[in-house]
Amino acid sequence: MKKVQQQTLIGMRDQLGGYAWQDAEISELVDPKLGIITGFQDLLDQLEVLRKIDLQALPPAGDIPGE
Amino acid sequence: MTDSLVFRPITEMATVLRNEEIGAAQLLRQYAERIERLADSSKAFISLDLERAADKAAAIDAQAHSGSQLSGIPYACKDLFDVQGMVTTGGSKLLSDNVAQQDAEVVRRMDRAGAIFIGKNNLHEFAYGATGENEIFGTPPNPYDPTRLAGGSSSGSASAVGYGLCAAALGTDTGGSVRAPAALCGLVGFKPTFGRISTEGVIPYSWTLDHVGTLTRTAADAAILFEALVPGYQKSEAVRLDGLTIGIPEAFFFERCDREILDSVDHLMNFLRHAGARFKPVAMPSMEYTRTVSLTVQMPEALSYHNRYLEQRGELYSQDFRAGLALGQCLLAEQYIRAKRFIESYRRDVNAVFDEVDTILTPATPAIAPLIGAVEVMVDGFAEPAGNAITRYTSFFNMTGHPAITFPCGMHSAGLPIAAQLVGRHHADEALLETTRLIEQAYDFVLPLPDLK
Repeated sequence: MKKVQQQTLIGMRDQLGGYAWQDAEISELVDPKLGIITGFQDLLDQLEVLRKIDLQALPPAGDIPGE
Repeated sequence: MTDSLVFRPITEMATVLRNEEIGAAQLLRQYAERIERLADSSKAFISLDLERAADKAAAIDAQAHSGSQLSGIPYACKDLFDVQGMVTTGGSKLLSDNVAQQDAEVVRRMDRAGAIFIGKNNLHEFAYGATGENEIFGTPPNPYDPTRLAGGSSSGSASAVGYGLCAAALGTDTGGSVRAPAALCGLVGFKPTFGRISTEGVIPYSWTLDHVGTLTRTAADAAILFEALVPGYQKSEAVRLDGLTIGIPEAFFFERCDREILDSVDHLMNFLRHAGARFKPVAMPSMEYTRTVSLTVQMPEALSYHNRYLEQRGELYSQDFRAGLALGQCLLAEQYIRAKRFIESYRRDVNAVFDEVDTILTPATPAIAPLIGAVEVMVDGFAEPAGNAITRYTSFFNMTGHPAITFPCGMHSAGLPIAAQLVGRHHADEALLETTRLIEQAYDFVLPLPDLK
């Protein structure tokens, strides 16, 4: 998987809809300067590892049934 | 005995009130006097309503005692909970005009039990963070050392009980936000089975992970609050330490941990062994990606709720919370669903562990309360972001939804409390509370009160 680019996220913002985050805020996700979000690329890398694990037909978590 | 009740557990206060050795109004005045002196330094409260509290105390004193152990007991709640007529700020500038039209369900339940609401506690903005730092309302310090954090996100709730400004407090726990600050401040922090206590009227952070919990002085007090807060409360069947099977995770939960914390938990385990408990190593799911799974659920859910404010007032969020929300928008739907499927997998794996044991024991936190302003803490030679360290042993059980409680078990040489965590089966909240109460009663450790001079 390639490293996420600022332009990719700007394209998502502009073309897929959603709140219009400022370019600087998008930039912080891919090239952190303020140190607020430092792990977005790591998060994506880890999610890619998780994607390759076969969960078979396991459903998403819901409520916890009572006794 | 009635001179300084503020640091006594609710169980003792209830007896004194029931025997009319002191009235609810007099007890409230003891707290009000302390709040006047310590509210600024503790930074525990965002708002107070002592007038309404005094009216309720007077009304309680004028009636025959109801029999409720919470009758006349002053409590506070994190400023995510709606209280009719008061502003619910969420610890943010954003909601400075957000006056609640009705009480949250848990506030109604506390009121019905006779507890006296006194005010709303400070917190990490919208519960987004475990350090409890808040640039608007200040950062609550630790009652044992004001240079250190109370911890968060229910920072003001921990500070309020720790400074003796109320008898108990309600908080929310999405990754340990009740249990961790309670542990750092020498209190008992309890989060029930997911869904057992209503979150209606509480500003959400992450619907999948949010739990309403309690901060009290003792496990017995936590049980009193739980009985009032939960529909369908069932008194625990008899629990005995003799014969209790306690699971000890084979990996992760005792790793990269302060040596003195490990020693204290080891001392507790020796006590439990002498009391007849058996220990069994248990294999928990791999923790390698659990933080990733949790974040992947948290941030899109937080964004989904806060979307209602972003267009009109988005600039009023703090910079770090906005960054987290922006991250939530850049995750894919399938990644979110996959994360929720991993949560289901964790739940099933931990349920299987409970086929073999009655409870699971871990340290509550791997480190003592960090210094205020510290970005990272060193734990056993490794640097780690302070917020991550505080919740490293607690956040997993928000995903699995198992009830969990943290309670003091030692004092660090740095003068700060050390705590252990017990985890129970789904819906075995009452048994977990009773087990902890038995430990509390029999264990030869008494936490010294903080020196607040």
